[in-house]
Amino acid sequence: MFAQGVVGLMSAYIRGRNVNLTFRPPNRAPVRALHDFDVEVKEGEFLSIVGPSGCGKSTFLSILLGLIKPDSGELDLHGRRIDGPGTDRAMVFQEFGLLPWRTVQHNVELGLQLKGMPAAQRRNVAQHFIRMVGLVGFESHYPHELSGGMKQRVGIARALATDPEVLLMDEPFAALDAQTRDLMQVELLRIWHDTRKTVLFVTHQIDEAIYLSDRVLVMTKRPGRAKRIFAVDLPRPRDYEMRVTPQFNELKLEIWRALEDEIAV
Amino acid sequence: MAESDGLDMALAPAPAVDQDQAPPQSLWQRIEPTVLGISGILGVLLLWQALPAFVTLNAGTKLFFTPPSQVAATLWELFASGTIWAPLGVSAAGFAVGLGIAIAIGLPLGILIGRSETLNALCDPFITAFNATPRLVFLPLVLLWFGLGLWSKVVIVAFGAVFPLLINTHEGIRSADKLLINVVRSFGAKEWDVVRLVVVPNALPYIITGLRLAIGRAVLGVVVSEFFGSDQGLGVMMVQAASQYKVNIVFAGMLVFMALSLTMTSLIKALENHLDRWRPQRLASE
Amino acid sequence: MADAAAPRTGLLRSNRRILLGSLSVLAFFVAWQAVFLFVPLNSLFLTKPSLMFAALVRLTMSGQVFFDLGASAAPFAYGLAASVLIGVPTGILMGRRVRVGLALDPLFTVLYASPLVALAPLVVIFLGVGVTGKTFIVFLLTVFDFVFNAYAGVRAVDPLLLNVVRSFGGAEKDLYLKVIFPSVMPYIVAGARIGVGRALIGILIGEFFAASEGVGYEIVRFGNFFALDSMFAYILVVTLIAIVLTQGVRWAERAAFPWRVES
Repeated sequence: MFAQGVVGLMSAYIRGRNVNLTFRPPNRAPVRALHDFDVEVKEGEFLSIVGPSGCGKSTFLSILLGLIKPDSGELDLHGRRIDGPGTDRAMVFQEFGLLPWRTVQHNVELGLQLKGMPAAQRRNVAQHFIRMVGLVGFESHYPHELSGGMKQRVGIARALATDPEVLLMDEPFAALDAQTRDLMQVELLRIWHDTRKTVLFVTHQIDEAIYLSDRVLVMTKRPGRAKRIFAVDLPRPRDYEMRVTPQFNELKLEIWRALEDEIAV
Repeated sequence: MAESDGLDMALAPAPAVDQDQAPPQSLWQRIEPTVLGISGILGVLLLWQALPAFVTLNAGTKLFFTPPSQVAATLWELFASGTIWAPLGVSAAGFAVGLGIAIAIGLPLGILIGRSETLNALCDPFITAFNATPRLVFLPLVLLWFGLGLWSKVVIVAFGAVFPLLINTHEGIRSADKLLINVVRSFGAKEWDVVRLVVVPNALPYIITGLRLAIGRAVLGVVVSEFFGSDQGLGVMMVQAASQYKVNIVFAGMLVFMALSLTMTSLIKALENHLDRWRPQRLASE
Repeated sequence: MADAAAPRTGLLRSNRRILLGSLSVLAFFVAWQAVFLFVPLNSLFLTKPSLMFAALVRLTMSGQVFFDLGASAAPFAYGLAASVLIGVPTGILMGRRVRVGLALDPLFTVLYASPLVALAPLVVIFLGVGVTGKTFIVFLLTVFDFVFNAYAGVRAVDPLLLNVVRSFGGAEKDLYLKVIFPSVMPYIVAGARIGVGRALIGILIGEFFAASEGVGYEIVRFGNFFALDSMFAYILVVTLIAIVLTQGVRWAERAAFPWRVES
């Protein structure tokens, strides 16, 4: 029922090969974050990465984003080498990362402003994505006036506004309460369906990963490497009821077993 | 730790009352704080005015407790006759030039040491030492170097005002959120964009607070330098009046200085509150 | 941030700040001394470190430094003590009795924001230049530091804690002893940190005016005699004492209230 194992894909869109990274913090022993990490992602795919805390999954997103350079290994997007940030990728951050002195409108415009888009055009584009994430009427609110869920909607709108090919999501719903999180997952699937971005989604929650993704990649404990990949054969569009089907739960159990050995108590 | 003073507490809003839960207030409940506050000030003035009626004061003490009505009359006379304008102008010039120099030095230096660990480590002993020391201790030396007059005053004012600006700017620059810097970098920001979009907006409230503290120090500098080393200015007028036992003029001069400090501090405070609109809480400075 | 975080061995890295700081202080004094190898020293205008330290040793050996420090220390201590004794109860009262707080807050705010130093000439005339006059100037400059910090401290007391003590049958006295005083103490010490600096200003102003002893008086006197080596020695003494006092209060703060989160 499930395609298992690390599968080499013909139409690799994002390709990471033997990515290695070691952190060398001052005054402390070096930490090996990633060890020969391999990953391949198809265009338009929704891939989740789950793994124990500190396994380097968020670090990998930062490398993909271009904020951190790996010590060795290859990383290509659409055949182009990733070397620093670019407008083809955008990140949604766990702690939102909204500029507190900017209104919702101006936060969404951030990436466009850095691209050098004229102000009038910027406003229109931002308006479009504010509507998409359902924040019409909150354009002139400051972040501290918003709930956590609304803040992350701003974060998503900001990432989408620059029209990236790839959306990187680093535990985007981890700071939200359970109900808001469920709601945001439904919203994210709707937005993904409308925009057809390639999504890399890092999470701790197996449920979340299965519900959202085409495939789920399980990482080993630190130094992180790809352990197994699970394909999710649930039909789309997905609804909330799928989360209580036997199929869903079997897959959840299987992913949990792969993850279990990696979690040290 | 950003430098601050107790005035932050004096000017802090009243203890948090949950607006949602507070029952609708009557008119009296709303105006009570204002009424009480005004009566506090008026009460002290009245008491002062009425004091001679209750207690018999000896000649010397009577002089010190010159009634507020007489002080007000003297103040009116100083403005009406125009005698106050010349000394006031001299004091204002010293204040403005000194504060201007403090800003011109403190702001860029604060940004530099905020962005460079090395420069920070090099300057830190001097900043700590000068900031802990009352800069007044250099007054006799400054008088020796610059003589009586404007430039001594300017140096004292600038020297006094530069440190709160420098330290608060530094703190504001340093406290820029690493995550926000990463966010704008991820959108392709260059170093200059990081400064423009994150570092400076984050530091602005700190800088304004530093400016407010600097104004207080600058006024202090004007007063003190005119007491000891000037031939013109409001402070000089006050010392001369004191030596002639014209206590009214001393109090009147005091009121003018008071009005100047309060006006400028309130203006800056209003600016601070305006900048605070994006922040849920006030700066966490003691 | 702007510096590249080059990998360093731990010890060197952690001591880098101290090392750089000491180097820059050393360089300052060396440069100050060395510049007079090339430029003639006008001793009516400036001095050099060697002469300054020689004067410091001379004044220390003769005991004059201690005499002057003693003369300055007494009004410093009296003034601060008076500020604590009057300012703290006033602040607590303002915090506990809302109407008292509302009535006094604007008055004290106006006074606190004003340059009360401007009253120094009057104080000198009426109380003289001895211990009393200096004490009063110190008091005037520092009392509101304690009033407003105690006031803020009481207002910051968690009402929940008061109710906890009440629920265990605590009386008014217990509220003060168990909750209010412990909560207000850190604020008072924070007030002391600001107050110490302002008390030093007060002492100097008092002694600049017309004293016959004390550190501030001596600095002016040395200036009048163009004894710049002695003048610089005393300025150095004041600087060192100021650093010791302010850092001392900071240290005491951390030692006494480890439960306080550093802001």
